[in-house]
Amino acid sequence: MLFPRALNLLVLKTFRKPKIFLSILQTLLFSLFLLSSPVLGSGRPEYETFNYKGQKLSILRDSLTQTPVIIRGIESNLLEIKNFSKLSREEITHTGPILANKYKSLLQIEPDQLKLKGAEKISDTWYVSYWQTFRDMIIYESSLGFSIDSRGRIKSMGALIYPQVQAPVTSKVGHDEALKIGQNEIKDFKKLKCFLLAESVLIYPVKKTSSIDYYRVYAFNFFPKEALHPASVVGGWAVFIDTQTGKKVLYEELLKPLGCCVPEDWVPPKLEDMKPKW
Amino acid sequence: MVFACKEKAGKTSLPKLGAAAIDFNCQDLEGQAWSLDKVRGKVVLLRFWADWCPYCRYEMPIIDKYYRKLKKEGFLVLAVNVKQSAEVALAFIAQLDVTFPVPLDPDGGLARKYGVYAIPTNFLIDREGIIREILIGEVFREEKPLRDLLKNYFPLL
Repeated sequence: MLFPRALNLLVLKTFRKPKIFLSILQTLLFSLFLLSSPVLGSGRPEYETFNYKGQKLSILRDSLTQTPVIIRGIESNLLEIKNFSKLSREEITHTGPILANKYKSLLQIEPDQLKLKGAEKISDTWYVSYWQTFRDMIIYESSLGFSIDSRGRIKSMGALIYPQVQAPVTSKVGHDEALKIGQNEIKDFKKLKCFLLAESVLIYPVKKTSSIDYYRVYAFNFFPKEALHPASVVGGWAVFIDTQTGKKVLYEELLKPLGCCVPEDWVPPKLEDMKPKW
Repeated sequence: MVFACKEKAGKTSLPKLGAAAIDFNCQDLEGQAWSLDKVRGKVVLLRFWADWCPYCRYEMPIIDKYYRKLKKEGFLVLAVNVKQSAEVALAFIAQLDVTFPVPLDPDGGLARKYGVYAIPTNFLIDREGIIREILIGEVFREEKPLRDLLKNYFPLL
């Protein structure tokens, strides 16, 4: 950090007891530096105009990975699908890889890394989304998604992509052992008659200041068979266990996903209605 | 912390129908600060959601349709993302192409203050800052319930 170092020299010449003052000022200036950076997650995000193979785009990048979180076409669409109204749902779900291929070098992802997350039609618009995978494993909370209007136009897309993922490809800890560790994380697991709603082996990225740690984890979503008290804020738990060390890397209380409509009617969600938290 | 929501001092009890909504200071994905005090005079739909909740997704485009339609008449949607990162929320919002402000509640503190135990949960707050509806669960999958609700405040709808 050049700036704070230069500041040190300046302040040392100016003040007799600079240590405390320096520390406060450095922290303050570093915070200001972070707040004013043109990145996502530090105040007002700044969009850049980017020329991609002759197409003008508006892009917002992730501060750490530099991959686009939002891509919008300026005066043009990202993609226009011909005869869209005649396409089947199955055909519509192929749009993601086509889009990823078109913007491959920008997204830093291969089309075959996408796995369908959902494709729904609401009114006249289709909403399609995917996970990014690493060696067929889903990357937690990764996404690439877009809406397609009734004329087959995609104007923008949102993405959370991790380039150059480096993660273990095998597990050192067995599944059953990890499951026990996960269950033990939940207080009153037996009393609440908790059950395993969903599980997977996936990649869990943890962002640090200037790098990302990628854990290969057993991901468990537990829900109580006996509905918790309606006023309880906990509807379930997500517990992730590192496949290499057996240590818990994520424990999160989940709010109750509620279809309809009044709290007294709440029951644990059915598997077919639930979306796992990843 | 840039994105944390902070409750304003003076209110501690959970929100009730007919009572003043708890005020807060929150920053949205565009870096804009929001508080109920600042938007007094508008009809506010304060919504709590997360991207992994299947029920939250379907309602978003319908809510956005009415937000776009009634924005100039004084309808505001504050769709608070609960316990997720800015990147996750932003990517999701961009995918749905919705336009309303999305404040972040990364530690779930605001959701707790509002007694939110299920998602989605919507609070309809009138122009005087009074809570008029508390809607728990998915209720706006179809347009009609939202339209009927908003007609009380925007008769020309």
